[in-house]
Amino acid sequence: MNLASNANAALYASMIVYTLAMLAFTWHLAARAPQVADSKVAERAEVREDVLVGAGAPGTPERRSPYAAAPGFEESRESRQRGNIALMLTYLGTALLVASVLMRGLAVSRPPWGNMFEFATAGAAAVGVAYSVLAKRNNWQWLGVFVVGPILLVQGLALTVLYTEAGELMPALKSYWLAIHVSVAFIAVAFFTIAFAIGIVYLVRLHREEKPPAKPNFMESLPSSAALERTAYTLNMVAFILWTFTLIAGAIWAKQAWGAYWQWDPKEVWTFVIWTVYAAYMHSRATAGVDHRKSMLIALVGFVCVIINFTLVNLVSTFVGMHNYSGVG
Amino acid sequence: MTTETPPRPRKRTQPDPSLPKLSAMGWVRWAWRQLTSMRTALFLLLLLSVAAVPGSIFPQRNIDAGRVADYIAQNPTTSPWLDRLGFFAVYSSPWFSAIYLLLFVSLVGCIVPRTKVHVAALRATPPRAPARLSRLDEHAEVVTDLSQDEALAVAREVLRGKRFRLHSHDSTSLSGESGYLRETGNLVFHLALTGIIVGMAVGHVFGWRGDIILAEGDKFASSAGTYNTISPGPWVDTETLPPFVLGLDRLDVQFNEAPGRGFGMPKEFTAYTTLQREPGAPATKESVSVNHPITVDGADIFLLGNGYTPVITVRDAKGEILYREATPFLPQDGNYRSVGVIKVPSASPKQLGLTGFFLPTAEPTFIHGPASLFPDAKNPEVALSIWEGNLFPGDAPQSVYTLNTDEMKQVTKADGSPALIRLKPGQTYEIPGGRGTVTFDSVKRFAGLSVRTDPGAPISLVSAILATAGLILGLTIKRRRVFVRVRPAGPGAAGVDSPSGDDGRPATVVSIGGLSKDSDAGLAAIVAAVHDRLAERNDRS
Ligand code: HEM
Repeated sequence: MNLASNANAALYASMIVYTLAMLAFTWHLAARAPQVADSKVAERAEVREDVLVGAGAPGTPERRSPYAAAPGFEESRESRQRGNIALMLTYLGTALLVASVLMRGLAVSRPPWGNMFEFATAGAAAVGVAYSVLAKRNNWQWLGVFVVGPILLVQGLALTVLYTEAGELMPALKSYWLAIHVSVAFIAVAFFTIAFAIGIVYLVRLHREEKPPAKPNFMESLPSSAALERTAYTLNMVAFILWTFTLIAGAIWAKQAWGAYWQWDPKEVWTFVIWTVYAAYMHSRATAGVDHRKSMLIALVGFVCVIINFTLVNLVSTFVGMHNYSGVG
Repeated sequence: MTTETPPRPRKRTQPDPSLPKLSAMGWVRWAWRQLTSMRTALFLLLLLSVAAVPGSIFPQRNIDAGRVADYIAQNPTTSPWLDRLGFFAVYSSPWFSAIYLLLFVSLVGCIVPRTKVHVAALRATPPRAPARLSRLDEHAEVVTDLSQDEALAVAREVLRGKRFRLHSHDSTSLSGESGYLRETGNLVFHLALTGIIVGMAVGHVFGWRGDIILAEGDKFASSAGTYNTISPGPWVDTETLPPFVLGLDRLDVQFNEAPGRGFGMPKEFTAYTTLQREPGAPATKESVSVNHPITVDGADIFLLGNGYTPVITVRDAKGEILYREATPFLPQDGNYRSVGVIKVPSASPKQLGLTGFFLPTAEPTFIHGPASLFPDAKNPEVALSIWEGNLFPGDAPQSVYTLNTDEMKQVTKADGSPALIRLKPGQTYEIPGGRGTVTFDSVKRFAGLSVRTDPGAPISLVSAILATAGLILGLTIKRRRVFVRVRPAGPGAAGVDSPSGDDGRPATVVSIGGLSKDSDAGLAAIVAAVHDRLAERNDRS
């Protein structure tokens, strides 16, 4: 049995299933839209008032939980069923992807993240697992499109641009710190990714709350912008803690492998940049007088840095320092 | 960045209301307040992240001085400016240092007052319950047939179980506060950040690093003079370096020979060494490999590089040996095409210099110049050009890896073309013009070893762990206040939650309110827990 080729087969299979999941999520959103349109006509005035008063204003007679969906939206059975079908497909796709990563790991007898192809697939798997675990209990069916879409994109890039045959590790990577440092980084990135997706949705939702569009669509069925913002903050917070740990574990490993825990090699620089940008985000969110939209923009910039760290810094030669393991080229 | 305005001085010397004047002290205080505000910290953090980026784009001297030199040569117009502005040494540039120093001044200026406030808060009792608890973030009300005191006792029990600090300001209310660890964690986090910087500074000042290239079979005794390069921190006494003696018995290097993308990639580097703590001390066998340094007297010995040292003998026309050494050639690419120099000052009538390449697996045709096809020594060859003249013009210090040809001329063959030596192990080349011979005897490997001490590293490590712990506390714990008020159920109070009190027993209305500083999904559960316990007691009675 050839594990490495089975790993690839599982990867292709997961892409097919994720594609179906993607379609099902879109179908689910399509079911939410007309319903909003119906409920909106009656409730428009009420919604406007709710927005104007704001979630935190004192004296609001009856405060609704910020975690509930938009006021006046009751999810239909059809929409719920479609959402659940999409979730089932996502679970399957994630299981296949995880199986692929595991088989690759067994094929090479080491943690399966030694080159860019493996980074990309393992990263996609981390996002898939994080979403699968959190989606049901948070009713995140509406988020599926925005998470599964990027996963598919990354898988496609991994197979076409980054593909590397299963092989051994360079000596500098042979350390149990590889397993610790990199796996925590993946989990952090998974949370950053979901927080990023919610952050984008938040900005759109906020805009539509401030300037209600003539024609409501599925956006109006989502939780309020305040609730989205809080969810994104919580996810970013978890990711930030994990990233802090990644940074420290990386420094400990660098000390062992290169003799100095911090040398400002490009990968270290970008890990640090990501950390400071998200630290600035946490700060700005805690600073009185900085509105949450601005804070969220900082978090989005932070995610752009995460992407740069995993792409340009690995691939472009000006960035290449000692972390030169891409296996591409 | 901030909207704060300078404070007005308390005593105005001039009665001009339009132009408030600040004393020098007032300005200092104003500047200090600006510097230690959250907004400034935020701005400086963002600035720091932006300022760190150029160091990953432009080559940096501390990582690879050679690439900096190349870059400067390729970009003659922009690079002098970039150099002047510190873009090739970003992390020691004045502007980068200014940002992080300001940030840390701001940090300290922030921690001190916050610690005072927090210590006071730790001693204070929870505040009096507001009159109308229904206005708080979370609120619940329940009617019970417990007495007022009993109801408060139940609430007290529930909240104590949830680790609230409790206080009753009067007989009909209860105030509770929890989550003091949030601010403690936050302060620990910020304080530990300064600890990391202190550790880095200590390492910079008291740490040192020495690099040495050691060929198989060679030995070296650590002292300030024996390293190829040594960079001690400003307060290091180089007379007190650990005096260990290290011999390299064998270097085990393996490369991937399977065809495909990984062809020629390194698989394994291990140096087998003999170590003595000091000259004459008993020797122990130690192996050093990547990720596995050895430690002697607080100094760590790392294996950071490897390469080849061809053993080359130069004889004069009479056959006298002028030079015989294992000379390190430094690898330039993944296939270890290596460059090196052999300087023979004792040659006469003119000094001789050989410079060129060592190729572990030589590409035989040299169609694209000297090239190596594989990093292992499968088909070793040296290719050298020969120079004669003055090796050390002006007696200026020079690197052992470069040949200064300012006062040298290339040796040519009879037909005027440059003489080029190409030798495999065991072969000898006769230099034209009866200048003697060059023999390539054999090839050995060398290990690039780096000896480092960083006394600040433990400080930084402990601080980093504390920072993480503080961060987790500071972010996950919520600062909460819960208040409970009781009042007798009057007319109209019935039906609020539980329709009891009808049977003539005294009924009490319990109102519970919760308040949190930040988004806090758990607050409702606490208010609900108090409510449910009271309701439950009600059912049982
Ligand atoms: C090296 C620079 C700094 C970094 C990396 C940093 C990072 C952070 C982070 C990640 C948080 C959120 C974590 C938590 O709440 O425990 C935070 C909170 C906070 N920081 Fe900083 N900080 C820095 C400097 C400063 C400075 C200079 C000040 C003072 C002006 C400051 C004041 C605060 C305050 C008051 C909070 C609490 C916000 C709250 O949760 O209510 N920080 N900081």
